[in-house]
Amino acid sequence: MSDDFAFWLSYLTNGKHLTWYASFQFTVFAAAFGGTLAVVFGLIGATLKNSRFLPLRIIGTIYSSIVRGVPDVLFFLFFPLAFEQGVEWIIASQVCSPEMIAAQSAAWPPCKDANWFLGTPEYLVLASVSLGLVYGAFATNVIHGALRSVPQGQLEAARAYGMSANQVLWRVHIRQMWVYALPGLSNVWMLIIKATSLLSLLQIADIVLWADRLGAPNFLPAVGLVHGDWRWRYYLVLFVFYILVTWISEKGFDAIMRRAGRGILSEAP
Amino acid sequence: MDRFIAELGLFAPAVVFNIYFALASIPLGFVLAVFLALGKASDNPLINRLSRGYIYAFRGSPLFIQFFMIYSLALSFNVAVWKPMGVSWWILHPLFIGPLVLVLNTAAYTAEIFYGALRAVPRGEVEAARAYGMSRSQQFRQVVWPNLIRLAWPAYTNEVVFLFHATAIVYLALPVIGQQKDLMITAKELFERDYNAFLHFSVAALYFLAVSLVVFFLFGLVYRRLMRHMPATPRMRYAPTWWR
Repeated sequence: MSDDFAFWLSYLTNGKHLTWYASFQFTVFAAAFGGTLAVVFGLIGATLKNSRFLPLRIIGTIYSSIVRGVPDVLFFLFFPLAFEQGVEWIIASQVCSPEMIAAQSAAWPPCKDANWFLGTPEYLVLASVSLGLVYGAFATNVIHGALRSVPQGQLEAARAYGMSANQVLWRVHIRQMWVYALPGLSNVWMLIIKATSLLSLLQIADIVLWADRLGAPNFLPAVGLVHGDWRWRYYLVLFVFYILVTWISEKGFDAIMRRAGRGILSEAP
Repeated sequence: MDRFIAELGLFAPAVVFNIYFALASIPLGFVLAVFLALGKASDNPLINRLSRGYIYAFRGSPLFIQFFMIYSLALSFNVAVWKPMGVSWWILHPLFIGPLVLVLNTAAYTAEIFYGALRAVPRGEVEAARAYGMSRSQQFRQVVWPNLIRLAWPAYTNEVVFLFHATAIVYLALPVIGQQKDLMITAKELFERDYNAFLHFSVAALYFLAVSLVVFFLFGLVYRRLMRHMPATPRMRYAPTWWR
């Protein structure tokens, strides 16, 4: 019994497992940073959509409908690749000479010096921005709807107090908007959490990639077969992990909504 | 421009796989969802807990993980069960596992939509049906179901569109066999060949958009038929309540 316990303890704390536990930081970072960016992009998008200037309104509407109209994975993969290429193209226009371009045999980058190497931190930031852009489109819709749900009387009262348009917007309109936006934003947050499982598609050694490596049949010449195909156990752990995170965020959002809804008579559903 | 049209041709066989995954999983998911929704509304504590737990688990975890989990689970039974039975060639095939996982996933999301609609069915109508002496199955077929499907249809349309979008990750999680490539894999492979991200990914996106619009049109027709007793059909909006 104690032998078993010692074995499991040493198995679960070996170097690879510790790396796995450490890789949770990528997921947490992507969720937190991506979520913040999504709210920022959502606010920008909603402002554009509410703008009195027609072209800006069109840009806001196109952003929120196109990005929501294509699968999130597609945009999630596309944005980092396109951004990397864009940067390399700009570098190439500065550093590449015609001879270097002629010497380059691969299709991309135009010349060897224009190659921009991306490590895990860079990809992580790009992935978070990508998440922010995709789910910002959803947040745009949520915030746009919430801005329109704020009772007109509140805004009129603010105006009657002599507040300027900016004051009305920032002190009354956006403050009250959160109550109506929170249920939708909690939905967007759940989406972002689930989308963090896609990080491994951008070559980030995240929890999913490590679960796959750890669970693969493990054979050591010195001891023989350590374990067979245990991948499903590791994925089951991730499955439960994500459900737990969803559950905790649900509780958290309930608390925030209760707090934000204080003093508001007809609470948003 | 020629290149763009050639590109559209390259993606045409790929979109068939996405459509196949969606078509194969929608009917079964629909049926399973009805039972799950009824289970969630059931008074039997065991059935109630089980359906609630199932819906929560599959809505609370990423589809990507569900794919890996169920595929690796199926793989682990391969030597002991599937091989001796001689079924491993189709059980482990992405064209089977893909729809299987999608059914399990969409059933949970759809069940939540149906459950919401079930609770919104007017109480008075059900009471009237009971007053007429209808049996429970009669009540369901004559009163509850027609109300439920009308209430749920716009949200269900959105769910189907999102299910179609979800087919994009089938082959990112499962092995690609031979030339069986869906839109995402085609876009990725073409990208790795000439690094033209804008062309390949936007053509794939265009296909997704086009099919989504077709789904909206078809489901809109059904909705008009469902609502034919109303003077004017309420407009359907692209506004999903529950996202994947």
